[in-house]
Amino acid sequence: MNTAFATVVALLALGAAGLVPVAGAVGARWVTVPLAPLGGAVLASVAATASLSFGGALITWFVALAVVSGVVVFGTWVLRPELGPWVGPPNRRRPGRARHRLVGVVGFLAVVVACAWSLRGLRTPTVGFDARALWVMRPGWFLQSHAQLLVDMKVRGLVLTQSAYPPLVSASTAVAWHVTGVHTARLGVTTVALLNVCALAAAALALVESGRDAALRLARRTDSAAGGDVPEAARARPPWAPMVAGVGAAVLLVLVAAGVTEPFLTNGYADPIWSIAAVGAVAFGLQARSDRSTRAAAAVLVLVAGMSKNEGLVTALALVVLIGARSIGGDGLRAGWRRWSVPVGVGAVELALLAWWPVLMHAIDARGASSTFTASTDLASRTSAVLHGMSPYLHVLVLALPLSIVGGVMLTAVRRRSGFGNDVWAWLALAVGLVAIGAALVTGSGAILPWIRSTVHRITEYPILEGWWIIGYWAVVAAAGTSVRSAPTGTVERPSDQDAVGTGAVGTEGSDPPAQSVGSSVGVSR
Amino acid sequence: MSWPRTERGRLVASAPVTSVGTPAGTHRRRAVRAVAVTVASVVVLSVAGVALVGQAVRGNRTVSVQLAAGTRHDAALDDAFYHCLDVQAHSLVAPGRTVSLSTDNLADVVTMIKGFGSWVTVADPASSADVVLTLRDGVTGPDTCLGTRVVGTSVGPDGHKVVRVGTGASVAGTGPPPAPPL
Repeated sequence: MNTAFATVVALLALGAAGLVPVAGAVGARWVTVPLAPLGGAVLASVAATASLSFGGALITWFVALAVVSGVVVFGTWVLRPELGPWVGPPNRRRPGRARHRLVGVVGFLAVVVACAWSLRGLRTPTVGFDARALWVMRPGWFLQSHAQLLVDMKVRGLVLTQSAYPPLVSASTAVAWHVTGVHTARLGVTTVALLNVCALAAAALALVESGRDAALRLARRTDSAAGGDVPEAARARPPWAPMVAGVGAAVLLVLVAAGVTEPFLTNGYADPIWSIAAVGAVAFGLQARSDRSTRAAAAVLVLVAGMSKNEGLVTALALVVLIGARSIGGDGLRAGWRRWSVPVGVGAVELALLAWWPVLMHAIDARGASSTFTASTDLASRTSAVLHGMSPYLHVLVLALPLSIVGGVMLTAVRRRSGFGNDVWAWLALAVGLVAIGAALVTGSGAILPWIRSTVHRITEYPILEGWWIIGYWAVVAAAGTSVRSAPTGTVERPSDQDAVGTGAVGTEGSDPPAQSVGSSVGVSR
Repeated sequence: MSWPRTERGRLVASAPVTSVGTPAGTHRRRAVRAVAVTVASVVVLSVAGVALVGQAVRGNRTVSVQLAAGTRHDAALDDAFYHCLDVQAHSLVAPGRTVSLSTDNLADVVTMIKGFGSWVTVADPASSADVVLTLRDGVTGPDTCLGTRVVGTSVGPDGHKVVRVGTGASVAGTGPPPAPPL
């Protein structure tokens, strides 16, 4: 079996395992397609952790987890058909429905083509240094017996302290090796590269869906502003501008991200997958409309980020808290427990899954699991070195920040009307990631200058990508702003980030926003 | 804004007020604001669009560098080197035999892990290993992996040390392969 065919088989195996649980949580949406293999990768990671914890072969755990999660989802669909992916929002016939669907299809295909184009670096058979030493070497350990796996993880003579890093990349490669019978570093690299672009496609599709969502909202509010009960023929069509901007920004984001993450996007490193997945989690969890589907997409991406690398783990833990806080909101705290019990419960499950591997590493006294915090008192010079080392890579923030300020001052009303979350959430997530990485460097025990020089271009991928995502986000908001028309006053908009509109669904148009959201003039804002 | 309340203090629905002043003033402000929003939207969209397009072009070039002849040559040589070590190690370690990697040279340990760390059965403790693997660098002549050979040391049936040299693959040349990006 050649590497290309084996990679396809591996991705199909991961996708098959992840499809049902992801479809059950996210629904039948375009983003479910790239999320399915990522869901399979999460299952592989959990399987590796369970295998190390309790014994048994990784592949047995992987199949068992896939079957159990599939049965649970199907059982839920049988018992509560209203939760099935085939149940869409009210499918009212509206003018412009065809163009709305068309943009969804075109956006998905454009993102797929951009991702495929960005993978052309795979034609060069590079296997990165760390990839060969760790990420696509460790899969062999996961396929050994439980007793031998424990030895591999613990024995000090192997020197490699990074083997305690989270397992998603290696576990996915182990599944790929097992199902194809091809045990090569190259297959590991190609499998990881495809998972990278799945995460990238998911993050980019958040922009496509946000643009389509914004267009629907603007059309509906124009209807409402014109009197509410508008005859069907006179209803406003979703404007093209935000939808086209969403597709354009998504495609450009893919190309930008490929440039930022190469050569690591296609040489087996774990930095791109956690960075891109974290950006996707921010996109769905903190920037898109907040509903069950987007929160589920965010949860998958948070788990991918947190199970891929230590930096991703710290960032993912913070994202769980931020997404939970946004889901509950100030109103939720004052409301009954039903309002916040679900977000808190989901967050607790995510935290437990994320914490399982690092806790296990400490429990078995794995090599590299002990603290590496420095006893140095020269934290000031280390902090200075980190700041000076990282700042040349963060020039995108010099553009994103003023754009964000201008948008925040001038386009907040448009943003709210279009259903976008406040970008302060994204900045918080960016800051958390930066602080996590910076703190690890400042408090680490390694010599700071060589450490910075050899890693800074990889560890800053997340803040760089987040910065570019924020720019893309404002591009779509601004495109929506060019489509806003003045409407008569006499009604008040009480916008909310909690508005739920199912516009991302494949083949469905989406439900109406809550009744209290009524069209208003441009300047009305909370 | 104050909301009307009933005597029991509950909020009741009423038409909210959204603006004050004369209708003419309100309309003028609204028009000015609408123009400002449109201008800001166009500016933000233009700046963001130009930036994204520019960076996308740069990103596209970065990806293309991966296809350069030099990058391909280095990658192929790197692959051949580690494949060579892998084959030589296989020639020294029979299935089921435990292994320890000689820790005399840290760089060599990392090289061995990269070459065949995924499949060897590591012994614990190291002294119980059936075979001790090490690298012999700077070797001239044929049957080496860019001047490096895998060497296995074991104890024979008569209790004597047996030193064997890996076979089955070679890559002509000297020195380690060009280091891939860290």
